[in-house]
Amino acid sequence: MPRIRRTVEKIHKIDEEELIILKKRVDIATALIIVFIAVLIARLWFLQIKKGEEYVKLSENNRIRIQQIQAPRGNILDRFGRVIITNRPYFNLVWTKEDAPNPDDVVKRLAQILHEDISNLLTSIREASGQPRYMPILLKEDIDWKTLVYIENHHFELPGVRVEAVPSRDYLYGNMASHLIGYLGQINKEELENRKDSKYQGGDLIGKMGIEKLYEKELRGEKGYRYLEVDVLGFEQQILRHQDPLPGNDLQLTIDSDLQLTAEKALEGVGGAVVAMDVNTGKLLALASSPPLQLNEFIGGISTKVWQEHLNDPLHPLIDKTIQGQYPPGSTYKIVTALAGLGEKIITPQTIFYCNGGLNIYNRRYGCWKPSGHGAISLQRALSESCDVYFYQVGQRLGVDRLAAYAESLGLGQKTGIDLENEKPGLIPTSVWKKKKKNESWQDGETLSIAIGQGFDLATPLQICRMTAALVNGGKLYKPQIIEAIKDPEGATIKKFQPDLLGTVYGSAQDRKLIIKGLIDAVNTKHGTAGSAKISSITVGGKTGTAQVVRMAKFRSIPQSLLPRKYKDHAWFTCFAPAEKPEIAITVLVEHSGHGGSVAAPIAKQVLEEYFKDKIIVETDQ
Amino acid sequence: MLRFDRRLLQHFDWIILLWLALIATMCLMNLYSAVYPDKPPGTPVYIKQLYYFIMGMGLVLAIISVDYRIFMSWNYPMYGAICLLLLYALIMGKTLSGAQRWISLGFFNLQPSEPAKLMLVITLASYYSRKDTGKGFTLKELGIPIALTTVPFLLIMKQPDLGTALMLGFIFVSMTLFVKLKWQTLNILLGVCASFIPIAWKFILKPYQRQRIETFLNPEADPLNSGYHIMQSKIAVGSGLTFGKGYLAGTQGHLDFLPERHTDFAFSIWAEEFGFVGSVLFLSIYFFLILWGLNSAVSSRDKFGTLLCIGVVSLIFWQAFINLAMVMGMLPVVGMPLPLFSYGGSSLLTTMAGIGILISVRMRRYQVPS
Repeated sequence: MPRIRRTVEKIHKIDEEELIILKKRVDIATALIIVFIAVLIARLWFLQIKKGEEYVKLSENNRIRIQQIQAPRGNILDRFGRVIITNRPYFNLVWTKEDAPNPDDVVKRLAQILHEDISNLLTSIREASGQPRYMPILLKEDIDWKTLVYIENHHFELPGVRVEAVPSRDYLYGNMASHLIGYLGQINKEELENRKDSKYQGGDLIGKMGIEKLYEKELRGEKGYRYLEVDVLGFEQQILRHQDPLPGNDLQLTIDSDLQLTAEKALEGVGGAVVAMDVNTGKLLALASSPPLQLNEFIGGISTKVWQEHLNDPLHPLIDKTIQGQYPPGSTYKIVTALAGLGEKIITPQTIFYCNGGLNIYNRRYGCWKPSGHGAISLQRALSESCDVYFYQVGQRLGVDRLAAYAESLGLGQKTGIDLENEKPGLIPTSVWKKKKKNESWQDGETLSIAIGQGFDLATPLQICRMTAALVNGGKLYKPQIIEAIKDPEGATIKKFQPDLLGTVYGSAQDRKLIIKGLIDAVNTKHGTAGSAKISSITVGGKTGTAQVVRMAKFRSIPQSLLPRKYKDHAWFTCFAPAEKPEIAITVLVEHSGHGGSVAAPIAKQVLEEYFKDKIIVETDQ
Repeated sequence: MLRFDRRLLQHFDWIILLWLALIATMCLMNLYSAVYPDKPPGTPVYIKQLYYFIMGMGLVLAIISVDYRIFMSWNYPMYGAICLLLLYALIMGKTLSGAQRWISLGFFNLQPSEPAKLMLVITLASYYSRKDTGKGFTLKELGIPIALTTVPFLLIMKQPDLGTALMLGFIFVSMTLFVKLKWQTLNILLGVCASFIPIAWKFILKPYQRQRIETFLNPEADPLNSGYHIMQSKIAVGSGLTFGKGYLAGTQGHLDFLPERHTDFAFSIWAEEFGFVGSVLFLSIYFFLILWGLNSAVSSRDKFGTLLCIGVVSLIFWQAFINLAMVMGMLPVVGMPLPLFSYGGSSLLTTMAGIGILISVRMRRYQVPS
């Protein structure tokens, strides 16, 4: 290896002096390296010890996804425990443009599967053309099981088509009691902010109206959770821990679904309300407002267009007329005037006024509804035949404020306190009220209008029903009750609601008895105004009313049937039964329809017949 | 002539071999965890790395069996060969993530930029040891070493592989400083470098390289792209706390949040699973090897040997430091493996060849040339 030797000879040998210099330089390098190691260790300390917990949190956020499991919402039951509303998923068919750019073949196929006109599907797609490509377009709502299974089995042939399960309410009785029950909707930003501490999150369903909203806390239950470990692509690796959801509690209503359905059927096609109350407890057996809400429209959110249509509907389906509809009580208010007259000793049962079809007072004539007049008339007949002149006389002697005091003791002019939102208080005017509100003195003539329930007087059907109940139950004014009990998912009662007595009615039992007699006559005598509410086997007592919509005399001379709907009077009827031992009070209001006796009383009759169906003895020909 | 010198065995550096085995064990253990529990088709990386370690041992044996001083005469042909390989890789090489770095040898994809680093160490050691540097180098005398560095530097930069190119710069600077410069030379060089930085930023760095550096300076600005690697690595290291999440129990790695976890970010896995204590232990073992290598430098009785050791140590040290600093979020992401620890044959074989040189120099310390 001569080359090696040659090379080696060239090698620069290190002498002692050089070695010392080299060692010094190696020492410097060693020191430098140690400094660098120290920097690395300091950095490790900073990351792992000082900021470690922060990074642990970040790494947990990386890998753990919290998945919520929706709790089944509580059912809603009627007073007999029959399920009115429960839950079921709705399966909606959606199509995503992004996944299948060419819809033609798919739509052709779908039209066959769904038995739907192809143009309907294409319209849905065209209407959504402005949407981002990844947004699913709803093709058909609530498909049935057979279709669902077919589509799932053929999903390879239907690119872009997906079935989305939307948890929702199942309305077993359709739109029954829709205003009372309300509906669910996706939680909005404001609701989310108001419930910051709770476990709601975007996309959750929340009660938007009625008892779905007011009893949200009971109904919603508690969500369950799954802590999933996911990888960087979000694929589930394992479940770290989980917590089962707690189902919501059931709500048992005081509503009798048979009665409610009867009332709603009777109201079909008109704008109006029926309220039926257990007179001895204040429990509501029916609370119907017509037209009902179309609850299915609210599943998945109601469209602005449909909402606008409802707003413009002359029958006002969005208004719960039982508690939000304020109407002049009309002649039903004569109960108040009679009670005040008796209570204030202005009249006795024997007091007789003369009705010649009107009363000339304060420089004008106040007409009776019966232009030919009732002649000499006492309280009982004045009630049964609804003589206006009699009550003008009583009202004129009472004055507005004494009348108002009795009205208030009967629960008018104030909210009843029912567990529903947006209840209207109605209006019972006083002289102070007018001064404050209109800055005008009370006119004596106005008292006459008030005395027969016209003028400023306003009442809701619920108020009139409760007034009727208080008249016949011994003068007890109850808070109207709609919830019977809260039950846990196993059916055990958690809380039972008790009748809530708010006050007693002015006047003696004797006075009320006299009025009741007059109301029984109204239904049961030949000249009574409410004969159309009469049912067999059970004695009914009741009072009709006609709330004037147009007060001007020149319009009033035109027959109601010739007036356009919006100028027609509202028809009232309020009643109770059985007369001997009253159980139920029923109040009917039909908007813009004419006289109480002819329009409202027959509706009440249907409800009464349903209520007493087991007690009515069917008359047979013998 | 070729008689076996008993003293060679007597002076064999058993410690460095032991340490090598220790680090290899940690490396394989860590690689096993890095790919756990995935079962991709083909040979798992830890087995492949084991093969590379065995091949590396063969390389070490081959290197120590010849007198390292022979490299002094083989130096320029080897240098030329490497430059040709780099040129070949640039023209014909396989493209991986946008850079032409690989030459396919059928059984093995060679990354010629890796041996190029070692080649530069040998070349510079050879050059400097021939020159008497008692008074320090002048700028003029540095012309040749600068040129020797610049050729492979530009070839690698062109691939583009910023990390490796920078490594050549670090090796050059470390070795040159070690052989001593004149103050004047140092000042001029520093001035040139300072003025070069803005030019390099503007004309030499590729847009993605600039972006990486910008991202490093402000990682929150781009958390989903370039900043993502840094962030995820910091999360992995930081969440290890004092004692770590336990072997095979790291979440950042096993759930794929950590990118490149068997190559450049291998240490993140270690730090996540063994925590501060495990990491400090690792650094202690690792840097002991480097300091031991430095110690070999003064054991040599000739200047070539000393400079070889200095070069090899600076090669391993700078890669290790830059890699660790990058993994801990102190430096921008540059493709830089952790020698002996990151998966990769070219890097491992180069590093082991370097260690072979360290052993060779040390065991020949008494074989003073006559």
